[in-house]
Amino acid sequence: MTALRVAVAALLAIGWVALAWLLAGTVVPDDLRLPHVDVDRVFGRRLVDRAEHFERFLFVVWILSQVVLLATLGVYAKRGARFARESAAGPIGTGMLLGMIGLAIVWLVQLPFGLAALWWERRHGISEVGYFEWAFGGWFALGGEFVAICIGLLVVMALARWLGSWWWIPGALVFTAIVALVVFVSPYLTTGLEPTDDVALQRTYERFKRDQGVEGVPLRVEEVSGDTSQANAYAFGLGPSRRVVLWDTLLDGRFTNREVGVVMAHELGHQSSDHIAKGIGWFALFALPATFLLMVVTRWRGGMGEPAAVPVALFAIALFQLAGAPAQNVVSRRMEAEADWKALSTTRDPAAARGLFREFSVTSLGDPSPPTWAYLFLQTHPTLAQRVAMATAWAKANGR
Amino acid sequence: MRPAGIRRSPSAGGPQNAPVPSAADPARRPHPVRLVVTDDLARRRVTVLFRLVLAIPHLLWLGLFGIAAVMLSFVAWLAVLFEGRVPTTVHRFLASYVRYTVHLTAYLALAAGPYPAFTGGTPYPVDVEIDPPARQGRLAAGFRLVLMVPAALLSSVLAGSGAFGPFWGVGAAFLTGSLALVAGFLGWFAALARGRMPRGLRDAAAFAIGYGAQTSAYALLVTDRYPDATPGRVQPEPVLPRHPIAAAVRDDLVRPRLIVAFRGLLSIPHLLWLALWGVAALLAAVVAWVLALVLGRVPRVLHRFLAAFVRANVHLYAFLFVVGRPFPGFVGREGSYPVDVTIAPPGRQRRLGVLFRLVLLVPALLVVSAYWSVLLVVAVLGWFAALVTGRMPGGIRDLGVAALRYHAQASGYAFLLTSRYPDSSPALAGRPVAAAEAPPSPEPAA
Repeated sequence: MTALRVAVAALLAIGWVALAWLLAGTVVPDDLRLPHVDVDRVFGRRLVDRAEHFERFLFVVWILSQVVLLATLGVYAKRGARFARESAAGPIGTGMLLGMIGLAIVWLVQLPFGLAALWWERRHGISEVGYFEWAFGGWFALGGEFVAICIGLLVVMALARWLGSWWWIPGALVFTAIVALVVFVSPYLTTGLEPTDDVALQRTYERFKRDQGVEGVPLRVEEVSGDTSQANAYAFGLGPSRRVVLWDTLLDGRFTNREVGVVMAHELGHQSSDHIAKGIGWFALFALPATFLLMVVTRWRGGMGEPAAVPVALFAIALFQLAGAPAQNVVSRRMEAEADWKALSTTRDPAAARGLFREFSVTSLGDPSPPTWAYLFLQTHPTLAQRVAMATAWAKANGR
Repeated sequence: MRPAGIRRSPSAGGPQNAPVPSAADPARRPHPVRLVVTDDLARRRVTVLFRLVLAIPHLLWLGLFGIAAVMLSFVAWLAVLFEGRVPTTVHRFLASYVRYTVHLTAYLALAAGPYPAFTGGTPYPVDVEIDPPARQGRLAAGFRLVLMVPAALLSSVLAGSGAFGPFWGVGAAFLTGSLALVAGFLGWFAALARGRMPRGLRDAAAFAIGYGAQTSAYALLVTDRYPDATPGRVQPEPVLPRHPIAAAVRDDLVRPRLIVAFRGLLSIPHLLWLALWGVAALLAAVVAWVLALVLGRVPRVLHRFLAAFVRANVHLYAFLFVVGRPFPGFVGREGSYPVDVTIAPPGRQRRLGVLFRLVLLVPALLVVSAYWSVLLVVAVLGWFAALVTGRMPGGIRDLGVAALRYHAQASGYAFLLTSRYPDSSPALAGRPVAAAEAPPSPEPAA
């Protein structure tokens, strides 16, 4: 029996690694060596100092918030089950209540840190969101999170009560299906995305689409200038719902047309490389071991079929997220690097890319070369220095 | 003898309407402003028809009386601040004014029949007894205008702004939505048609006016006792007939603060679930309507399904509006929640009543909307109170129960769970209706 289990586990592990290897492939040359970038020379000592100073505070806030979060959820894991007395619902309904209370507690304890970060960003002109609006304007989104956790617990607890300790396999699959569904429908549910009226920009976008072999995928502009001065863009959706979205802060004149072109080509790179579908694949790969571990750690509270296990599960999920962040960021950075490479290959304009990344440092006060721990835990993109280095490497490889 | 409109919860150990120590504590001294209703429900059609016109001289007089009352209330305020007591003469004048507003508002809302006197000094079928002046706390008097805000909010949805207002005048009551206004509006049609005011509507209006009077008395420093929202506190004990849909309460008033704080968000899953269930319930109600027309009764399985839906709604709203304590279940099982409704098994229904059910429902929907306004204010006040003290005030909890019971009765009537019309009275307990005045049994045995 034990040998059979070991064999199944080994097979699963091999399958996991094989799938990860398939998903991890990129068009970035394997032998690409990024040159050293002198951040003081490229970004300027003053800007680097300012960015480091800005991010240092945010890093401290993040560390403190994580410590408080884990401590709070630790206490909740130990004592939260007593809130079951406040439920007249059945086991699954009670589990939902405990999950929502956990979420409410997390919101409460994270509130001061969020406000501190907002204060810092407002002080540096990065954010223009009011404190009250920030704290209470997001209640709709918070309500969405409450619904999400209820659906998640409904799935997990129903499966656990039905299948016992084997719930984690269909559980991971159901969660992956839910994520895929959310990714697919979210572009249709997102409001405030408008087509651009800039004919030249649209023409450039269409040309990039042809170059990258992308069909469909309309370009949209989102108005965020009332809330922030940061510039950003994103690609989202799945299949027919795919979109590329530029924040209007990117089009306010601080960036040249060539730099905006790099951004568009980068986002199209995500779409042409199927990063969003691959992201769902990665989610499935991470979900399997995560649900397995969840099943194991909640056993001492009777398993996920029991409401008393929910606070423990929340604590475990917070721990998994923190522990898994470096691995997830590796995957994310790999995709972002591939999108950068595709943007360079499409625009063939490394100078514009370098200018863009430098400007990002100005507008977002991003540290071009953050500390290693921050790089591991927080950096979903390559650092600005690495991105400048990639532009330089691409230029060298292509004789520019 | 079991109080009408209220049933013992199957799982409750004691009387279901008695776990209200804070509101129903017999040792607690009676409120200094007490509602007395001796009205016999009879109305002369001609005075009903022209009631607003007949009231014009009173409305003019009320304006002058109100100005004098406001000025004297300032004198009373200074007297309490310095002496700790309102002079007897001033108290008598202000008490007369409060009584006069009660008489006039009752007359306007058709809670009483006779044309009121202009002094507020003579007895009236809907009246208040007011105790002589007593010592009052200086600090509470100093901040009276601030302290009265919650009561004024509740009073505005019960009796309209005018009922507590020397500041707005009784006329304003009829420009704002309130329980008394809706009762008067519906009562006008009923009294014109039958020459009688429906008891439930009269009791609803009288309670609302009584609460308004307590608020006025508090605002004008006639008393320092805060208004009591407990419905049914009236002399003599109100009549409350049995109803197939009855409230069952075994709530302890304790409210854990964390769950109070996030009550709205915690209710979201139920709201989504009931929205889905509501679609099915609507379809089931249509089927039930057709079958009731054919068979003269709703099949048991449909009755059970719709009854569970009505109960699930009551459980959710009780939780959402802080009337109940725990997180409710999702299936509307009877006895599963401390603020519950019991629903009698299906009985025969008259086909004509079934055929015109939607039309007949319209007046009840107006009362439902008034009770919903009450429920919203109950929720806001209860939310703040429970967040600060960890407890729900008993009076407004009971008022919330009354509003939910009416909602359940109206829903039950709409979904053909009963042929009995909802009872507008907010009283949670009362003496059963005498045999001579009892309506015919609405729910023959199944």
